[in-house]
Amino acid sequence: MHIPDGFIAPQVYGPAYGVAGVLWAAGLRRLRRTLEPSVMPRLAVVTAAAYVLMLVAIPLPGGTTAHITGVGMLAALFGAWQAFLSLSLVFLIQALALGDGGVTSLPVNALCVGLGGGLAARAGLLLRPRAVGVFAAGWLGAAVPALLVALVLGWQPHLARDGAGQPLYFPFGWQLTVPAIVLPHLLVGIADGAVALAAWRALGRGTP
Amino acid sequence: MNRDRALLLGYLVAVVAASLVHDAWLLATGLVLVLASAGGRAGPLAWRVLRATGPYLAAVAAGWLGLAMLAGPGGSEGAAGPALARLALRVLLLAALAFRVLPAVSLARALSFSRTLRYVLVLAMSQLLAFRRLFGDFRLALTARTPRRVGPRTAVRHGAATAAWFLRRAEHDAGTLTQALEARGFFLDRD
Repeated sequence: MHIPDGFIAPQVYGPAYGVAGVLWAAGLRRLRRTLEPSVMPRLAVVTAAAYVLMLVAIPLPGGTTAHITGVGMLAALFGAWQAFLSLSLVFLIQALALGDGGVTSLPVNALCVGLGGGLAARAGLLLRPRAVGVFAAGWLGAAVPALLVALVLGWQPHLARDGAGQPLYFPFGWQLTVPAIVLPHLLVGIADGAVALAAWRALGRGTP
Repeated sequence: MNRDRALLLGYLVAVVAASLVHDAWLLATGLVLVLASAGGRAGPLAWRVLRATGPYLAAVAAGWLGLAMLAGPGGSEGAAGPALARLALRVLLLAALAFRVLPAVSLARALSFSRTLRYVLVLAMSQLLAFRRLFGDFRLALTARTPRRVGPRTAVRHGAATAAWFLRRAEHDAGTLTQALEARGFFLDRD
């Protein structure tokens, strides 16, 4: 679901870097406050796991497949801050080392998918019984970032236009981005929730 | 400043500049220059750029065509062609810049100003590449052991088992890496 380079206006990615920068620093400080030496290796390895979770594909009706986001599972197991930092690192590595995603869209992706998805998943985890909470965490971890990404993309034509009134960046408004991005992710969310629930059971229901 | 950091900084400046340019001819010229700078590798570079950006650009073009058809001949979408050409050129230029410049940059050397950042990135990259290879093996194993097309139930069970395995492996590897780094005195003088 993440946004590629070239779709986001500087009026959005500039401030987004500011907000994400503050949150990255706060998140790192929060993780390091535990004073455990394992904090950084854990961040690195969970980042690698987050990347792999995004590769898990589930067949959808019609012969297509959808990749789960894994955000809910990560947030449920490791917390929203760890999910935010790990997904930010995934997006950074994808942008700078793997040629996927982008530098200008990185903070927007990190905030929408990592932070938005992580916080929504933690909220879903409050539901009881626990199994319902884990499923909700997986579902919300896919659905909420999709909505946030759709809102950011749909905002672009309202922000920057040329002399002829044509959009300078992503051209479609909310009336198109919200249904086009959110509806498929409501289905992907079911796969995300099912995988999160099954993984939680496979992990022995120890966490979350 | 080392060469890798200078290259990375140059790339970031070029990306910001490309996102601020709104003249389609300038963007097209930039794209041609980036492709030409690859010399004999221009063809494969162009193909890689098209493969990476094609799905996004096709989705945008399809959305635009759909809106134009819905709006009819009097709709304003008919005038959006130049705007879409500009967007497509910007996306292609940014992708070409990434594929042309970034493979020549050693991230470890470019980010050497922060020991923590460099160390987390190098660890994450090494684990990520190993995990990706293992994930590919798992997928091949599922395909090889499933006589028919993998259905949703099997895919969810396989996805969950894979996710659980990698999460356990991540926990284990984090512990092992910490011990290895601790044994080498890494945490004694961490910045």
